[in-house]
Amino acid sequence: MDTLARRPRTALAFAVLGAALLVGSCAPKGTCRGEYCGTLVFAAIGQPVSLLPPATDQALDRDIFDQIFLRLADIGPDLNTVGDSGFVPRLADRWTWLDSLTLAFHIDSRARWQDGVPVTARDVAFSFAAFTDSALDSDYRDELKRIASVVATDSSTAVFRFRARYPEMFYDAVYYLRVVPEHVLRLEPFARWRTAPFGRSPIGDGPYRLVNWTPGQSLELVADSAFYLGRPHIERLIWRFDADLSVAVTQVVAGEADAIEVLGSPANVARARAASHLTIYPYPGSVYTMVGFNLREPGGAPHPILGDPVVRRALVLATDRERMAQSVFGGMAKVPPGPIPEEWASLWTGVVAVPPYDTVEADRLLASRFWLPGQGGVRQRGGRRLELSLLVPATSPPRRQYAQLIQQELRAIGVQVRIDLVDPPTLDQRLRSGRYDAAIESWGNDPAPSSGIPGAWRTGGDSNFGRYSNRWFDRAVDAAQNARSPAEAAEAWRTALDTLAQDAPAIVLCAPDNVAAIDARVSGVRLRPDEYWANVWTWRIPPDRLIERDRLGH
Amino acid sequence: MTAASWLALVVAAACALGGARMLGTARTEAVRRFLEPRGVRAGVAALLFFVILALAAPLVSAYGPAAQLDIVGLQSAPPSWRHLLGTDLLSRDVWARITFGARVSLGIGALATAVSVGLGALVGGVAGYFRGPADAVLMRLVDVGLAVPRIFLVLAVLALGHPLTVAPLALLIGCTGWFAVSRIVRSEVLSLRERVFVEGARALGVRPWRILARHVLPGTGAVVIVAAALGVANAMLLEAGLSFLGVGVQPPVPSWGNMIADARDQLATAPWASLFPGLAITAVVVALHAVADGLRGALDPRGTPSS
Amino acid sequence: MAAWLLRRVGAALVTVLAVVTLVFFAIHLAPGTPFLPSGDRPLDPAVEAGLRARFGLDRPLGAQYVSYLGALARGDLGESFSQQRPVGEALAQALPNTLALAGSALAIDFVLGTLLGVLMAARAGRRSDRWLGAVTLVVYALPTFWLGLLLLLAFGQWLHWLPVGGVTDPVLYGALGFGGRMADRLRHLLLPALSLGLVGAAGTARFQRAAMLDALGQGFVRTARAGGLSERRVLGHALRSALLPSITLLGLALPFLLTGSVVVETVFAWPGMGKLAADAIASRDYPVVLAATLVAAMLVVSGSLLADLLYAAADPRIRRETA
Repeated sequence: MDTLARRPRTALAFAVLGAALLVGSCAPKGTCRGEYCGTLVFAAIGQPVSLLPPATDQALDRDIFDQIFLRLADIGPDLNTVGDSGFVPRLADRWTWLDSLTLAFHIDSRARWQDGVPVTARDVAFSFAAFTDSALDSDYRDELKRIASVVATDSSTAVFRFRARYPEMFYDAVYYLRVVPEHVLRLEPFARWRTAPFGRSPIGDGPYRLVNWTPGQSLELVADSAFYLGRPHIERLIWRFDADLSVAVTQVVAGEADAIEVLGSPANVARARAASHLTIYPYPGSVYTMVGFNLREPGGAPHPILGDPVVRRALVLATDRERMAQSVFGGMAKVPPGPIPEEWASLWTGVVAVPPYDTVEADRLLASRFWLPGQGGVRQRGGRRLELSLLVPATSPPRRQYAQLIQQELRAIGVQVRIDLVDPPTLDQRLRSGRYDAAIESWGNDPAPSSGIPGAWRTGGDSNFGRYSNRWFDRAVDAAQNARSPAEAAEAWRTALDTLAQDAPAIVLCAPDNVAAIDARVSGVRLRPDEYWANVWTWRIPPDRLIERDRLGH
Repeated sequence: MTAASWLALVVAAACALGGARMLGTARTEAVRRFLEPRGVRAGVAALLFFVILALAAPLVSAYGPAAQLDIVGLQSAPPSWRHLLGTDLLSRDVWARITFGARVSLGIGALATAVSVGLGALVGGVAGYFRGPADAVLMRLVDVGLAVPRIFLVLAVLALGHPLTVAPLALLIGCTGWFAVSRIVRSEVLSLRERVFVEGARALGVRPWRILARHVLPGTGAVVIVAAALGVANAMLLEAGLSFLGVGVQPPVPSWGNMIADARDQLATAPWASLFPGLAITAVVVALHAVADGLRGALDPRGTPSS
Repeated sequence: MAAWLLRRVGAALVTVLAVVTLVFFAIHLAPGTPFLPSGDRPLDPAVEAGLRARFGLDRPLGAQYVSYLGALARGDLGESFSQQRPVGEALAQALPNTLALAGSALAIDFVLGTLLGVLMAARAGRRSDRWLGAVTLVVYALPTFWLGLLLLLAFGQWLHWLPVGGVTDPVLYGALGFGGRMADRLRHLLLPALSLGLVGAAGTARFQRAAMLDALGQGFVRTARAGGLSERRVLGHALRSALLPSITLLGLALPFLLTGSVVVETVFAWPGMGKLAADAIASRDYPVVLAATLVAAMLVVSGSLLADLLYAAADPRIRRETA
């Protein structure tokens, strides 16, 4: 039978389309050659909310504003938080101890904001006021409590007064405070900083500045060629926002992105190793993952199920944490003796009474509190079923996996768990407002236990969403923070962790190893466990290894 | 898979084929004519097979659908004699989850369609028979319902709070799917009400509702059955999509849709966990379409060849 | 003709108004205060009372409805709970992407589907027809998101021919010329459009086959063949008559495409209305879902109105009747 007249025409159409695609796929000819070229693409999960430092605590936001805002001094690669010898000058080019409680910083005269205005000590004092403001409620308010005041005695000298002497005074003074421009932000009341437009178009003093942000897709930073500490070699930094970890890893493996900070699972590490253009960088993890319990109802009364420490202990006993960690991370994670990451190596040794895996004991404990087997295999007491909702972020495959594992393990002792998958901002909202039973939380930590443990577990701590409160724990934490020597501090921290293990305000699941993958063409790569991309401005791409997207200059 | 479950599986397959055969030799001429094309016979056999699997799930599978057999040793194991379709990331037997998932997916499809067909027939019948203001109002409502894509309606309700359990989810899907059915029933009723037997019943003084229920609506049976077959297919696809998005059937209850979502990351490394649920959905929907085509062919008096 | 047109447009407007009213009442019946952060964030009672007064939420429902309509006309759809920006802004960003996706999927659907349908009808009863029939039957039954996942795996991960997601390349797009930009967009659009379009094309092909066979069985065809017209011309004539019902199929395709876009956009991280709605579900962002529903409904209504107009323009019978 005669063929249709359409065929040649459609063939032509497809040929034209194909040719267009081919022609268009030819990458643009960039012109940048030499030392200061390069485009680094980061595959990130989720989306940033704000780039104004005191107004956000998301890790992704910090990764980005890390390149835009400077500290007075930055911590060295060995993360020594005691004294001031382990720190390198940044905004401040020198400092002196005026007396045992007073520290004066001299601001580097070359430091400038991106709009040309010089950085002054007034900016430092203003930033301190912001970070400690109660209406803004930044995540570091607690950590800055031991600094009584920050005053600008003249335009280049900022004086810090402390309330007491302790080993980490310098660390407290410089690590938390990102200096923000007073001349731009002074008209915006602190209470409105979380939604301030500055958060989407920041003006900083760091090695990079923001040039483009497409919400939901990507964000671009460009190097400041006049940066006084040295011009960054890599000209552009681009963050691609992905829905979840597997998409991000796929992009890196496919060469569409250059760097990813956490590969997550052994399967992803294997994929990255198999890709010849990637270099794998293992480094100590700064994250721990736990099931955080909410000990109180929103009104303040004890939670009807989780307010009881015996029940909580039973829940911890009923979960085989070692096996789950093995299943999810395949040897790439350890179960810590408390909510601590691998970063805090000194706290892993020593006696801490961690509850073992013992379902028989868990059974007994629940029965002793009158939670007896009921309908459908779910325990009940006085007409109330032993049911809990578990909040899990939808963007994290390991946590989703943990959720189903935990659901199954707790079902075996008669506890019904309902999994609630939400996106990270919603998880954050629910945690802050106390509207949850349990949540699988992952916490990234700063180098010192004093910046993680008190905030998370002290009575009234600003990230103590479960509202755990124990006087003995508080005392141990105080002792640790005021200890005279690191050894004394470590001992006090262990006592604190011991108390946590007994009170069981959470099921501590794992502290994963961290493995990053970065394109092999980048040289000079050093990763800091507390801030993965802190040193990006010192990396370079040698001119003979530039690829197409590196050559796109400005 | 134990010997017992293999046996049960073989028996199930045999029953499905036998059932299709039996229907093919049924005494009613209409049924025989319906089952004449090969595609329809295959479709009916496939549907019977899945329904039997769903009903006999505990017999046909050796493990429970939520049982995590060995979270360290048996993760993502490939298909073998022990595990017919392999295991997933949480070391659950995929075959067991497919059979128990059939209960959920087919059950939701059936219940949702029952609701939408019931509602649609009621509304369409009332509108078509009584005409007048009732017809105008109801058809406006149907227009509104048809204007909004179904998934948005469902998402709007689900955005209110927690995800639903299986039965309420099925009801929700059903309540969003009756609009097209009501249109079809209405046009059938419009033509049926002019028939002589309806006039006769009216003349005899039979009450209008009774006429509608006993004489007119049964006459729409043909189109309703076809609409129902397609409705089940659409309800199943909708449920699969919702479960894939995470707001449909909640873990650990398996549904073919949430199985695909769970195993999405392992598509390259352990494809069996997401491949087989997808194939199952496709197989059932193909079977339903084939059956609907056959029904249309058999029940259409004009006898237009359509397949 | 004009009277019919007016009636049709009027009916469409009434439908849209009805949807708007439904959405309005849904907003007000939902838990949590409308236009404000929901019960997830605790709100000081005094502050809440003040905000209610400021937004006019303490006025009678009728007055609120009128101002809601006014706000809609201005494009104000309320504020997103999770993104803390106006819903209208988020939709305005997302809508063009969904239209691009739906448009290309529709093109694939119609062109490929018609071609296949004609091919199958031309070879009706032969082996190739039966094979194609089976293939289209299976493809039509595939869940769109599953097809999308498989295509992504094959072309994105294994072969690296096409990008893994997104609308444009975030790195290179800015530096490309117009031709390069179009090509980049096409490369990103191809897989999602195929996932939606192939399934639709399979359905269209089956429908078109039946319509063609119907047309081929008609009197004029026999006359044409007897008159010695080449088979190709005969098919052409039959196609013209068979295309008419396809236009109504186009009208039906839009709801299917919008439904499918919710899952396909999620698979391909395509920042359109579907992904917006799916993300809003994860954050329980009720205003966004409702606004997306409203816009989807308006698209569907305008789509079917357009289809009706095309049908009337194409079919002289309708025109004569209503003249």
